[in-house]
Amino acid sequence: MLKIRGLECGYGRMRVLEGVSLDVGKESVGLFGPNGAGKTTLIGAVMGMNKLWAGEIEFAGRQIGGTDTHLMARMGVALVPQERELFPGMSVEDNLVLGAAYIPHAKGIIPEQMEKVFALFPILKERRKQLAGTMSGGQQRMVAIARALMSNPKLLILDEPSLGLQPSIVAEVFEVLRELKKTVSIMVTEQNVRESLKSIDRGYVLENGKIVIEDSAEGLRTNPYVLKSYLGI
Amino acid sequence: MALKRRNLIISVFALAATAALLLWRPTVLIYGLQAAGLYAAIAIPMGLVLGIVHIVNLAHGEFMMLASYATYFTCKALGMDPLIAIVPTAIVTAIFGWIIFQLTIRRALKAPELNQLILTFGIAIVFSQAINLVFTSQTYKMPLDYVSASMDIGELTFGIWSFVFVAAAILFAGGLNFFLKRTTTGKAALAVGQNPKGAAIVGIDVYRTYGLVFALAIALVGAMGALFLTKSAIFPTVGSPFTMKSFCLVAMAGVGNIPGILSASVLLGLTENFLRAFRGSREWADIVFFVLIIVVIMSRSLKGRKS
Repeated sequence: MLKIRGLECGYGRMRVLEGVSLDVGKESVGLFGPNGAGKTTLIGAVMGMNKLWAGEIEFAGRQIGGTDTHLMARMGVALVPQERELFPGMSVEDNLVLGAAYIPHAKGIIPEQMEKVFALFPILKERRKQLAGTMSGGQQRMVAIARALMSNPKLLILDEPSLGLQPSIVAEVFEVLRELKKTVSIMVTEQNVRESLKSIDRGYVLENGKIVIEDSAEGLRTNPYVLKSYLGI
Repeated sequence: MALKRRNLIISVFALAATAALLLWRPTVLIYGLQAAGLYAAIAIPMGLVLGIVHIVNLAHGEFMMLASYATYFTCKALGMDPLIAIVPTAIVTAIFGWIIFQLTIRRALKAPELNQLILTFGIAIVFSQAINLVFTSQTYKMPLDYVSASMDIGELTFGIWSFVFVAAAILFAGGLNFFLKRTTTGKAALAVGQNPKGAAIVGIDVYRTYGLVFALAIALVGAMGALFLTKSAIFPTVGSPFTMKSFCLVAMAGVGNIPGILSASVLLGLTENFLRAFRGSREWADIVFFVLIIVVIMSRSLKGRKS
């Protein structure tokens, strides 16, 4: 699905990613690492928000390095950004409709998609007339995930979906991710390694712009370095 | 609650003032509303560009001036009425606006605001000076009979043609409201205005949307250029007061507030005509209006600081 080889990327003169290679197949893949490791930069490179300095990105068999963000979305990559990036002055319903309206393979099935995401997040159905900007942080995160799912994506990328959420909602979000990985490829970056290891198949640890560990979820859970640095044991 | 009560007091006061004005000098009210229509119809497209593209287009009135010149010479050559030219003018100016956007403004969208202001100000000067070079500062006017149509109510006689500007303002406000709230393209444009990054990740082509919105705004102002020609003489700098007044109305209403532009225009139109009703006080009209704008903007920023 997604294949990254030797990716180098940065801002100004500062190199953030120093040759990252990773794969996401029909599975759920975690990307872990401390703040500043380059997780968001990597996602930005995939979504055409950051320029590639070197390396290649391939999605669904096509070279995509440097493709515009809106074209990536139309090809089937949906992003749930860290900052959510909703349309604050529009209703939840309008936010969701716009999640699909410009996606060729989703704009014809908006009512069906809407039913699907309301089944995952019933609270959004109750609040569909509410302005997105007036909702709590946790509910806005749900809207962002729901909006991404409206596009019926091939690959769903989530950047720190649990950031700033209360524990009960974190658990709900990861429950949804476990459900989703049956039908869609997922790449998720997280600082909450303990919780997210339960909902992924494989994971990478990114530090200082390099992949330092690559293993299955089970392997990561028992890896001494991961235990010490990320699980605090 | 307090806000609701204050709004009620303001509207009661406004109604009372309007009623008093109607009894004392009905023409002030009538001509004030007509002027308000003209101001609002020209300011609304500027508000659209500011709200969605986040550009202060200081060449706004100059686009209208160009449309008026184009309409004048086309109508003169073909012996056509400017009213027939409204739609063709809108289409041609939309294309022209789109080209100007792609050539200049698009490249400055990520530049600091001051650079954007200088850019559109420069465009304004190029437009008015180019017209000045080609057609000199001579004024042109279309001789049209129906413009002097008037109506009598009792002893009162007043011109009614300028009510077309009121109709245009209402049409623009209603049409844009429908476009932005009810159509997918309009919702996408609103989304781009609220969060361009969020719009790109749902597949909306942000730059294309900016270009379309700008072209739409220039189409509306182009239509106003043709309509304006029916009533007024045109000259190279005829647009610049409208740029300034539109900008003030949009600033007074707040970004993205179309109903606010309508009420601000009514305030401007009534103030101007109220002062003109007194002999020798014409010159005060602008001063009073701009003092009013300073007060409104200052009180709003004070309120903003408190909350």
